[in-house]
Amino acid sequence: MSDIVTGRDAVRPHQPVRHRPPKRIRLAQQAASILVAALFLFPLVWTVLVTFKSKAESAQPPLPPWPVNGWSLENYHSLDQFGAGLMHYAENSLVIAFGTAALTVVVSTLAGYGFSRFRFPMKGAFFILILATMMVPFQSILTPLFLILTRLHLNNSLVGLILIYVTLQLPFSVFMMRNAFDAVPREIAEAARIDGARGLKLLVFVLGPLVMPGVASVGLIAFLNAWNEFLGALVFLSDQDKYTLPILVNAVRQGHFGAIDWGAVQAGVAVMMLPCLALFLILQRYYIRGLTAGAVK
Amino acid sequence: MSGTEIDDRPGGAPSSARRVRRRRRIDYAGLFYIAPAVILVVVFFVIPLGMMVWMSFHNWPLMGRPRWIGLGNYATLWHDQLFWNALGFTIYYTVCATIGLLAVGLALALFVEKPRPGVSLYRTAYFLPVVVGFASASLLWLWLSNVDSGLFSPLAQRLGLTEVLYNVNAQFDSAFWSVTLMVIWKMSGFYMVILMSGLQAIPADFHEAARIDGANSRQRFLFITLPLIRRPLVLALILAVTGSMLAFDQFYIVLAGGPQNETLTAVYWIFNQSFVSFRLGYGSALSVVLLAILLVLSLVQLRLLHGQEDGR
Amino acid sequence: MKRLTIFAGLAAAALASAVPAHADSFTLWVRSDGSTFMPKVVEAFNASHQNKAELQIVPVNELVQKYAVAAAGGTAPDALSLDLIYTPSFAAAGQLEDITDLAKSLPYFKALSPAHLSVGTYEGKIYGVPFSADASVLIWNKDLFKQAGLDPEKGPTTWAEIRSDAEKIRKLGPDIYGYYFSGNCGGCNIFTFTPLIWATGGDIFSADSKKAQMNSPAVHEAVAFYQGMVKDGLVPAGSKTDTGVNFFAAFATGKIGITPSGSFAIGALNSQYPNLHYGVTFLPGKTGGMSSFAGGDNFVVSKGTKKLALIKEFLEFAYSLPGQTLLAKNGSLPIRSDIAKDALAGLDARYLVAADAMAKGKTPYSVVFNDLINSANGPWNTTLNKVFFADEAAIDPALKECDAMMQSIIDAAK
Repeated sequence: MSDIVTGRDAVRPHQPVRHRPPKRIRLAQQAASILVAALFLFPLVWTVLVTFKSKAESAQPPLPPWPVNGWSLENYHSLDQFGAGLMHYAENSLVIAFGTAALTVVVSTLAGYGFSRFRFPMKGAFFILILATMMVPFQSILTPLFLILTRLHLNNSLVGLILIYVTLQLPFSVFMMRNAFDAVPREIAEAARIDGARGLKLLVFVLGPLVMPGVASVGLIAFLNAWNEFLGALVFLSDQDKYTLPILVNAVRQGHFGAIDWGAVQAGVAVMMLPCLALFLILQRYYIRGLTAGAVK
Repeated sequence: MSGTEIDDRPGGAPSSARRVRRRRRIDYAGLFYIAPAVILVVVFFVIPLGMMVWMSFHNWPLMGRPRWIGLGNYATLWHDQLFWNALGFTIYYTVCATIGLLAVGLALALFVEKPRPGVSLYRTAYFLPVVVGFASASLLWLWLSNVDSGLFSPLAQRLGLTEVLYNVNAQFDSAFWSVTLMVIWKMSGFYMVILMSGLQAIPADFHEAARIDGANSRQRFLFITLPLIRRPLVLALILAVTGSMLAFDQFYIVLAGGPQNETLTAVYWIFNQSFVSFRLGYGSALSVVLLAILLVLSLVQLRLLHGQEDGR
Repeated sequence: MKRLTIFAGLAAAALASAVPAHADSFTLWVRSDGSTFMPKVVEAFNASHQNKAELQIVPVNELVQKYAVAAAGGTAPDALSLDLIYTPSFAAAGQLEDITDLAKSLPYFKALSPAHLSVGTYEGKIYGVPFSADASVLIWNKDLFKQAGLDPEKGPTTWAEIRSDAEKIRKLGPDIYGYYFSGNCGGCNIFTFTPLIWATGGDIFSADSKKAQMNSPAVHEAVAFYQGMVKDGLVPAGSKTDTGVNFFAAFATGKIGITPSGSFAIGALNSQYPNLHYGVTFLPGKTGGMSSFAGGDNFVVSKGTKKLALIKEFLEFAYSLPGQTLLAKNGSLPIRSDIAKDALAGLDARYLVAADAMAKGKTPYSVVFNDLINSANGPWNTTLNKVFFADEAAIDPALKECDAMMQSIIDAAK
């Protein structure tokens, strides 16, 4: 079977013929791999199966995880009963997640290009400044952020939230993109430059395709983080029409008058989780390649 | 970071390219490319950070008028036993989680590094929990560890491991390890990928040569593999330590800091002071202290990274 | 900050002028617990009035911080239906409009819930008026009582009776328990546990709320009462980590004999668990007597709102008999004692017990209520969580420590 995850093995340096371990050991290896995979997957599978139980069954321990008394969409219906409905919040979440991903890609690609290919004063200081964002707990600057958003007339707006999410993504993304550009042989850019490609044109048409894995992984991670973020969304959006999925699910979790609807919570977790899983499965080739290319440096 | 780092990589071409760049003159166009990122960071990070420091010198209620109290908050902080407890717990958690994440991540990486039938599927499986959000994973665990409607306790009872339903979250040790396990489950795939990339960059003939010289597998791991993946290992270390020191979601959602505040983390305490007790000035002072601690930790870890380069 | 307020003021003015003059509107927030009745009231108000209320439901755990952050940014709602215990701290922070005149101009002012008004008053001025009400009561499962050979129509009236009834019910089966409480929920326990103390003649604060009294005999006895039931296995294991999510649901499973709860449970049980037979009685003192925590929401007005006339119109609607009936039908007790009976007419008779408890109930007063009581990490919750599930010897030092912690929080707030 070829390697669909990284595609790396094919281009591995100095790859000699490997010593194949004896069959017995290979079988044991496979068995262990499957066992560990099952351990990693079971909470996810368990949750998704449980959501299809009926209301009464959801309150019982999930043994077995699949519905015993017939499959039901009851839990999704009760999740839909909260506030303006599931679809509405999912739409907000999608807008925010896509917006964050797109803007993060643009900003961090430009910055990665700048940091990788140019010499300018204070370069190191700017780079450290961007990385330092990672070290401050976001919760602690919530109030100043809110005051700044208000000043910019961006409070209670999806745009304001996106800008903040992009900022939170920058340390990782800029680091990744700088490394992605570093990995592109300089000769390619030089050749293109001789052919007359300069500046943005060079970046978009020549280098762009070469750093695609990095772009995919930066975009995907930004999407996932924005999709899942809770506290900022809650504080910065004061209009319930603009709420996102995590706020919905948290409201469900807090329960109502001392009763928690576990089925609805699980349905909420599934709704938050499944798009992430699907997106990852589709893009994983780029994603992991981007991640590893960014990480080894 | 200096140009020597490139030498790790297969194929030395970019290294010489770097050297070409070094000779180039200063090009201000670079500033134009990094401008959007820098502007965002200044507006949404540097300025709020400055405001945070400013606030830390005030008695700043969430509602009502702030009052300048100089270093008053820092004096209070010095005697705030709960904060130091929280910090102690955070460090304990960071040590446990970091060891767990790196050990499991490395084990998985070694396990799936080499091509064999189905290995890509295994990689995908181990990585999948990473893409689930921390809030989702915490909610999931909240349910799984619930004593009545969850999975762990009833399962243990049915398997005959416990006689009555055992409430996982009621005791510090079981609650702590349950959450730490959740973090390892969710994040070790990420560290697996980072470390795997390091492993795959090791030329296979290094191992061949060592094998011929009679090194056993343990020796090869200790003296060839580990030193050669030092850079991704340190990167993983920095990410794991920073992430763990800022832990909040999982302890907030799954344990609410319980039992009896024993799992309050530093960020949780900051959150509590700022948004439960509404002492924003005090919360800011706590943030400043935590930030200072993180800076020191990161500097120490970066020395590890540079130590490698100096040693060459 | 000042400039921000002006900005917001301008924005509000611009918005206001965009709406035709004859149909004005005001913004109103309610905590998610109020989502059963508030949307109904707003809907009825909007249908019958030219002016409109724009309602927003805010998750209960985040309401205070969201409001405060919005207030700091100048985007606070005009009015807010607020958990009544927060009224003093909001008023102390200078966020609320003095509505003494509005309140006193109501002809039925004297009939409004006194407990609500007592916490709605700060330094002699009224900042909050009652909106919804919820009183703590004791509920018991009649079917389990019958099975255990107890009189299903007679609820316990002393602690000793609670205990002996619970013991008999516990014997019915391995998964049937005598008593339930949420052991890691400060809000639940202030609501249902303090009345046990009050009814025994004690209190957790001094009368002027300036001194903590956790280390007093009545508190000690009440803690020992709960601790004894836990130790003898009358309470399920899940209680220790229940942060309130099971506060109602545990009893609803039909496997709990007795539990302290609130009047909200009557509506919720009737609609969701029609086959569960239960009785409602007062929370008793050690040897009799009764007390109740008068809870619910106070209606407060953000400082500087221009919509006071509209808000009054809305309040008058909510206080009218149709308004009160609507509230009563949707999970809140009436807060006007003069028309309470009419508003509850035709509803479950058990509401009358709760309304009675409400009228005799009290509400603790503190500007740092959240820090002391409601915070999951505050002294009240962590101490109770410790002592309920510990040994008798642990009670004394823990209550002493709690007393000191509470006192330091109270003193720090001065």
